[in-house]
Amino acid sequence: MFFYAARRFGLALLILFVAVTVMFLMIRAVPGDPVQIMLGPRATPELQARLTAELALDQPIIKQLMIFYGNMLQGDLGIDVFSGRSVTTIVFQQLPHTLWLIFASITWSASLGIALGAYAAAHPNTAIDRAAAAVSVSFVAAPAFVVALLSLLIFAVHLQWFPAIGAGEGFWDRLNHLVLPAFAIGLSWVGYIARLVRASMLEVMGESHVRTARAFGLSERRIVLIYALRIAILPVVTVIGVGMGFLLSSAVFAEIVFARPGLGKLVIDSITTRNYPIVMGSVLISTGLFVISTALADLINAWLDPRARAAR
Amino acid sequence: MADMTVELQKKTRSELGQILTGVARDPLGLMGLVIVGTIVFCAIFAIWIVPYDPVAMNIKDRLQGPSTSHLLGTDQLGRDTFSRVIMGGQVALKVALPAVFGAMAIGLTLGMIAGYGPRWLDNFLMLLFDTIRSFPTVMFALAVVALVGPSLQTVVLVVMATSIPTYGRVARTQTLTLQNSEFILAERSMGASMARILGVHMLPNIIGVLAVLAAMDIPTVIALEAGLSFLGLGVKPPTPSWGALLKDGYSLIRQTPWLVVGGGLPIIVATLGFTFLGESLRDVVDPKLRKQR
Repeated sequence: MFFYAARRFGLALLILFVAVTVMFLMIRAVPGDPVQIMLGPRATPELQARLTAELALDQPIIKQLMIFYGNMLQGDLGIDVFSGRSVTTIVFQQLPHTLWLIFASITWSASLGIALGAYAAAHPNTAIDRAAAAVSVSFVAAPAFVVALLSLLIFAVHLQWFPAIGAGEGFWDRLNHLVLPAFAIGLSWVGYIARLVRASMLEVMGESHVRTARAFGLSERRIVLIYALRIAILPVVTVIGVGMGFLLSSAVFAEIVFARPGLGKLVIDSITTRNYPIVMGSVLISTGLFVISTALADLINAWLDPRARAAR
Repeated sequence: MADMTVELQKKTRSELGQILTGVARDPLGLMGLVIVGTIVFCAIFAIWIVPYDPVAMNIKDRLQGPSTSHLLGTDQLGRDTFSRVIMGGQVALKVALPAVFGAMAIGLTLGMIAGYGPRWLDNFLMLLFDTIRSFPTVMFALAVVALVGPSLQTVVLVVMATSIPTYGRVARTQTLTLQNSEFILAERSMGASMARILGVHMLPNIIGVLAVLAAMDIPTVIALEAGLSFLGLGVKPPTPSWGALLKDGYSLIRQTPWLVVGGGLPIIVATLGFTFLGESLRDVVDPKLRKQR
């Protein structure tokens, strides 16, 4: 397990390293003065001079890359063109809003999806199973931002059940503001997770430990809920870890549609004001987040199921 | 030789026919086929279908609800929403098809090379694929758009770059499985070149699986294009994209619901259609894939 963890995190670090390099090369591949490109047209001459010195543009490109890595290791992602504050601080200020949104979305959709999937697997080929399958496919198909817009239209503008904009103040108000965006992001996951759990549940129900539990005369309810489900939800962990990037993308749109603070809003606002250091910083931090969550999902999976450790 | 080509064509045609029959027998597949067929038909013949010029403004008739003259109403500039929806389908396919086929071609080539080539190249390509996949798609797209500016080409390029790894990985796995099969070993023992083995013998065995992936990938691409255009970072106005419709609809959401409905429903219907078709294709082409995904 230790070696597996070390190898998996080594891979994660390597991926991050390559990602940072790709980012660096991307900025350089765009024709024009890199300082102008990185800071955008709104930067003051002092800031430009400072960055020119910091990036050591007169030095060979390998040296520049080294400096870029060095800054990154110290957590220095550059400086906001307008306020002069550190990009790292600004991004980490907005990040919790996005993480809460993602957490809320995945919590409700995973709970409902697992329940639906388990029920469908325990009663295969009944009307409810078929209905759940049909609904699952349809939900999987709906892109989050379209669902967000339609739910804004129906539940906020017309029915006025939920607030349309902002993140709210105080616990209950915040929760109230979370409902629609979390609904929009989570909807496609319900069907996806339900299908996943149903499939893996049907497989687990045929395994020997379930047969043994049956032989001991345990109630069907106990077998399904305790012995089968515990193993059957394993793939969900991986899927959520790998789906982190997808969730993040949906969160960006949900934040725009519901005018919520967060990473997505920060990036879009920064693109419209051409505040590039913030855009790049957010992309790097969200990439890091994604790489870590994928690695964690793999680790949890390996911990719960020793067979996964052997496979690459 | 000529006879063989004819025979091969005949064979592939009948195979394609078999696949289509298989898809049409499945109710969801048939539905997908009908939806996708309708979208493609509307996109090809868009200019003859639209009742109005999709970019012609008519300020006098702005923000109307549905009526017999404007099936889905009009937008803030008096442009006919129905015409813009139909033309939007054309824009969506113009982005989705080149992006998906481009990604498939590049991913297929790289994946086969990774699977068949030397170990170090395999490791390098896999690391590259893992890295590209580690950028959250929308974030990556936003970064590129910020650097090079929004346009149709940028969207196609970003979508292509982000979906190459998926095709590459699948192509690699398939190549690895095929590598030790007898017909490849026989070909190798006769001294066939790598290009011949990959192009003539491996390709036909991999392409089916990738085509299924492509069909299932198209909705993602359509959604991404619409999403970027919704943010104002995709195709430029006045191009009638579904995302642009949603963008107008979002800013006017308190005045009229019809723009959001007009932009949103086609995206959902198109996504449904391609997903149904893709899933049904998968079951017909390669039932084993069902478990893998």
